[in-house]
Amino acid sequence: MKGKVITIHSSRGGTGKTVIATNLAATYANKGLNIALLDLDFRAPSLITVFSKGIRGSVKHWLNDFMNGRCTIDQALVDVSEEYNLRGRLLIGLANPTIEAIHDMMGKSRAWEVAAVKRLFSLRSTLFNDMNIDCCVFDTSPGIQYSSINAVISSDLSIIVTTLDSLDIKGVQKMLAEFYDAFEKRTVVLMNKVFPETRIWSNGRQKELITQMEKAFKRPIIGVIPCYCDVLQAKRSSLLAIKKSDHPFLRNLQEAAKKLEHIN
Amino acid sequence: MAAVETVNKKSPTLDVNVLLKMLVDELNRVNKKLDLLVELNGKMLKMQEEFLQSIANKSYRGKAIKLKPDAMTLLSLPGSLRKTVMALYKLEEATAEELAMETKRLRAVESASANQLVRMGYLKKKRGGRKVYFYIE
Repeated sequence: MKGKVITIHSSRGGTGKTVIATNLAATYANKGLNIALLDLDFRAPSLITVFSKGIRGSVKHWLNDFMNGRCTIDQALVDVSEEYNLRGRLLIGLANPTIEAIHDMMGKSRAWEVAAVKRLFSLRSTLFNDMNIDCCVFDTSPGIQYSSINAVISSDLSIIVTTLDSLDIKGVQKMLAEFYDAFEKRTVVLMNKVFPETRIWSNGRQKELITQMEKAFKRPIIGVIPCYCDVLQAKRSSLLAIKKSDHPFLRNLQEAAKKLEHIN
Repeated sequence: MAAVETVNKKSPTLDVNVLLKMLVDELNRVNKKLDLLVELNGKMLKMQEEFLQSIANKSYRGKAIKLKPDAMTLLSLPGSLRKTVMALYKLEEATAEELAMETKRLRAVESASANQLVRMGYLKKKRGGRKVYFYIE
């Protein structure tokens, strides 16, 4: 995992990207790894809500400030390891949720977007060499827009989170063919919120589903997570990886996390 | 009767002379017009040359073309060129040899690709000693 940047992406909203990103980061941090989790969804920031309990006082520098060249990446990161009693370090970079900041990020020029990609590439040396971070996770916005594709092209591995909804599946196939293939990026797919009707907890059915999806996406499936009502109903500010470490949702995610460690 | 015959015999000769004179006059007028057209054409060609030269100066000398290789633009580039830009994003600035090490392609391929991107206006290059470095401005 040393020195790896992972992007969590999806073709549409509501696939559970942020839940996966936050719990994956917390799972690794709980194992003793040092993790940086960055909210690159500047249009709909969400990590500020998820980590609201872990942030002491006001945020001095947003990730927006780093992207705008107003601060360094270490200044834009908040350490929440102590608040969540984690074995490793978990540093989070928050996107500014104010309307002014969202509006500002929506009106950026192409020259700014070029500088943004350069900044995302450049943060590697600070994180991995100076701050002793093992892995960096980007939580992005859905679909093909600058904030998400900048994240994808500057990362080592992308996890596309999708449900079994036909719109999601078609969207992912299109995104893979028109964008991911062009950049030859290492990509895996994580099936989330899989409906109970598919009875994926029966092993035979799960294998069949994985084979079918791998054929459809031409990418490895690193996990199939069923839809759990209590995960959907849980408060966004409660991290399952910390509160309910024996939850089946987490067991599935931990299995996927293990597989990720073996992908170069 | 004989006088009438004399006039009838003489008049064709007179008409030919008059006609020849008229023809010469007409040819002189056409000649003058042609001279004027040749002169105008020369002036137009000179103006056209000056105009093309001024465009060439603006495009290639005074102002170099600058294009931004942002993520969306990269999608429209051929895969071979896209690979070079992606490597430069990672390396910030690099020689053709360093690009080749990153992309695992031949140095000559990277050199051709990077120079084409410079000509297209997506990359810049600078000299550092004996080496040439490519970078994204």
